[in-house]
Order: sequence, then structure tokens, then C-alpha cells
Amino acid sequence: MTMTEFPTIAEASRLIAARELSPVELTETCLSRIEAQDGLLDSFVTLTADRARAEAKAAEAAIGAGGPVSPMHGIPYCLKDIYDTAGIRTTGMSRLLADNVPVRDSFCQEKLAAAGGVLLGKNATWEFAHGGPSWDVLFPPARNPWNRDYSPAGSSSGSGAAVAAGFAPATMGTDTGGSIRGPAAACGIAGLKPTYGLVSRRGVIPNCFSHDHAGPLAWTSEDVAILMNVVAGHDPEDPGSANVEIPDYTAALTGDVKGLVIGVPQSWLEDEAPPKPETKAAFDAALKVFEGLGCSIRPVKLPPLRHFDDSKKTIAVAELFTIHGADLRKRPDLFGASLRYRIIAGGLVRAEEYIQAMRMRTDLARAMQAVMATVDLLMLPTQEPAGKLEPIDPSTLFSRTSFTTPFNVGGNPALSVCSGFANSGLPFSLQIVGKLFDDATVLRAGDAYEKATPWRSKRPVLLAKEAA
Amino acid sequence: MTAKSTDDEIVLLARQAGLDLPPEYFQELVSAYANVREMIDRIPTGRPRGDEPAHVFAPMKFLPVGQ
Repeated sequence: MTMTEFPTIAEASRLIAARELSPVELTETCLSRIEAQDGLLDSFVTLTADRARAEAKAAEAAIGAGGPVSPMHGIPYCLKDIYDTAGIRTTGMSRLLADNVPVRDSFCQEKLAAAGGVLLGKNATWEFAHGGPSWDVLFPPARNPWNRDYSPAGSSSGSGAAVAAGFAPATMGTDTGGSIRGPAAACGIAGLKPTYGLVSRRGVIPNCFSHDHAGPLAWTSEDVAILMNVVAGHDPEDPGSANVEIPDYTAALTGDVKGLVIGVPQSWLEDEAPPKPETKAAFDAALKVFEGLGCSIRPVKLPPLRHFDDSKKTIAVAELFTIHGADLRKRPDLFGASLRYRIIAGGLVRAEEYIQAMRMRTDLARAMQAVMATVDLLMLPTQEPAGKLEPIDPSTLFSRTSFTTPFNVGGNPALSVCSGFANSGLPFSLQIVGKLFDDATVLRAGDAYEKATPWRSKRPVLLAKEAA
Repeated sequence: MTAKSTDDEIVLLARQAGLDLPPEYFQELVSAYANVREMIDRIPTGRPRGDEPAHVFAPMKFLPVGQ
């Protein structure tokens, strides 16, 4: 076998197709690593080892008989623990769902299983993908593999940690205000929030219906593209699902980004929320890479960040209360304190206030698309490097702005990729945003950047003996 | 309503929401609502009557699966 220590999906897929790598061996490698090292990270809440071994054997037999049915055939993956998995508990990290075993798979799990993937298990999240990090919920919070004292961000925290640690080459997360891109950024991997409606949310525990996105996280943009080829597509059971033609996302990865026009939201970066100097320097260096690849950079002006957060969070708190109101009334003690604080006031939001926030979203989404019509992509840091893993004052959810939420409001595709490392050793992140349903160009840019920079050659080092 | 809602006002709003909370959770609600109120108070109002919210009803999305 010529498998590298941490094969990407693309590398493993080529080896499997050439019969140079066994899905059973690849799965055993992942399981061994998880069993030896996940005590350091708590990135999994449920490990389905027996099932994974059976699926890997079945994949090996099927590939031997007729070749792979897709590039995911025989590839291990995991799912954030808010994706329904038939016969496997799906908890959302909440004591309220400690015994919840769905009877039907989520749309994405159906697609990944049909593509021949091997399910390793379910990843840690923040409670119901919203409140965290928490130490008073069903499982402990995941840790950052680059430094276990630091947070992998949220809410797809276990997903980001598991991929960065090399426990699995693929996972699915969700993103309502940045929950795919934040963990991807904190853990130094690639994570795509697809265009709203491109990937079905059916069978995913909702956070905020109007802003929820399902999407993939992986080591590279190329791997994210492979996953998008599996999970993107219309689902009549998801009312938000778009019925659009799905391109071949891997075919879009030509490496050629020459001529693309990149907008930079200057007022956000210079006036409203200036990044720390080290983060700004990493961002400027990333833009230089794109200039070197033949792109042009220009400033653009978007509505204030605060407007996006006010609209989204007012809508979200009302929708969250609608989802959890019955439990908040009857058994508020079963929620973690962080999530309870973040949703309990949603019951006091009046219908007029919710609808005014939705009207504001109309303005913001139109303004976003008007700016996007003048460029091919936007770029900005996803966020600052990871912070310490410690309790966060839950009121900061309402007061802080983010560079990720605007693209949930607009629905635009947004990819986070690793853009270097801080002096602390923690990853920097670059966010690449596209026009609606032009996820392919976003992935093309992410792939070209990764191949033009050395950042994909460095992995975090975990010491298994520390787990004892 | 402003960011400085009184406890009595919040009790009334909570009752309308069906929330009969023990004291420790009521103080959480008071604190959380102050934050939510600040956001709401920044959202523009006084719009033209015809301004549509960002959610619209698309009937085709609710056809039985397969049709």
C-alpha cells in the first residue's frame, strides 16, 4: 500500500480505484487513530466501529466485483450529531435527546451511503448546534487538535477537530451563522457553507430554519468538491431546497483563476471590525497569492456588519424558541445554561418584530447580491485564530458581530480555507465568498490557493500517551 | 418597549409566551431579553406598506413528493 499517513479523499479514492488501497485497511487506520487519540479531543460522541467495519468490507467486495460507484466508495466519513441516522442515536449533544434514535436517515446520510461511504460515527457539536461550548450537556466539548487548550470553535466543533486530527477525511456539518466555517478556520481545514438550498436539510435537527445550511468539511477544497458532488441536489422534502442544475464540482477545479475580480469589504476590515495585525498580515499575504495567480483586487462596500447580525439573530432567537418552546416551558433544567440563555428570550419577540427583521433581511440580501454582481468573489478572514476553550458569556452571542453571518443572511456560498499559521501555531483562515449557486468558482479559488501555498502539508501532532 | 423593560413588563411578556419560570431562570430571561431588545430596537421600522419580508410562500414547494 502506498497510502500516505493522512490521505485526502482524492488520494484515497484514486488508490482504491487502482486496487492499491483497501477500504478495510483505510477504515481500520481511522478507527485505530480514533480509539487511541480521541480521548484527547472528544471529537466523537458515538463511534459506529462495527458498522464501519461491515460497510468497509461490503465496499471492498463491491469495488472488487465492479469498481467504485463514486469517488466516495470505501471512504470513511462522519456526521455532526444533528444529522439523523437510522438506528444510531442522534442527540444534538442535548440531554433532551439522550435516547433519540431516528428511524430514517437524513438526506445527506442517504446520499453518502448510496455513494458507498463508510460511516465512522457522529461528531460533537454545540447543543442543538447553537449553545456552547458547554460542560453541562450530554458530552464534553471537543478540543482543538492544534492545541488542546484551545477551542475548535462551533458549532460543528467535533467535525472540524476530527478532520484536522486525521480521524476521518470527510464530515458533514451545518452552518447557521458560521458553524461550518468557524470550526474549519479554527482547525485549519476547508469547510463550505453552500448556497442556501443547494444541500438538503431534511433530517437535520433545525437551528434556525431560515438560515440553516448543511455542508461538508474536509482537509482540502478538492475533497469538499468531491463531497458536494454527492450531497448537492434537489430534495422535494426540504421546502428550502433549490431545484437547480448541479455542476460537476471537481471538474471546476482547473487551477486557473486568472482574470477573477476579488472584492474586499474594506469598511468591515478597516473601520467596523479590524482584524489583529497578525491576522491582517496573513490576509494581505493571501490576497498577494491571488494577485500572483492573475486575479485583481478591489474594495467593495457592503451594509454594516451590525445590520446583518441584528437581522439574523432576531430572526434566529424567535425561530429557536418556536422549535424549543415546549421543552423550555416544561423542563428548562434539561438545557445547558448556554443554550437556554441564548433562546429563552425568543418567546418575548413579537410577530411584528420578527417580520421587521425579515424585511431587513430582504434589504441586506439585495444589497449583498448587488455587490456580488460587480465582482466574482469576495474575500476576507473567516475569523481570528482559535481562542481558549473556556466558558463564554452567552450574552456575547448577541453583542458581537462576525465575518460569517452576512453570508447566511445573503445565502451566498462561503468557503473557509487555511491561510497559514500564527506564532501560536494556530491556523489563520481565509473566507472565499461567491455569487448565489456559483459554489464551483468558490471551490476553484480555494483549490488554486491551497495548491499555490504550503499550508496543506502541515498536520497537528497529537500524542496518544497524553490520553491516559 | 425599550431595553430598560421592567421586571413586571417581562413577567407579562413571559406569561403571554407560556413561560412560568422559577426565579433563577427568570433572571436569565431578564438578562437575555435586554440583549435581544437592544437588537430589535436597532431594526428599522416605518417602512412602506408593500415591503415584503424575506420569506414568501412558494406553493410549488409543498406539492406531495413525486408530483
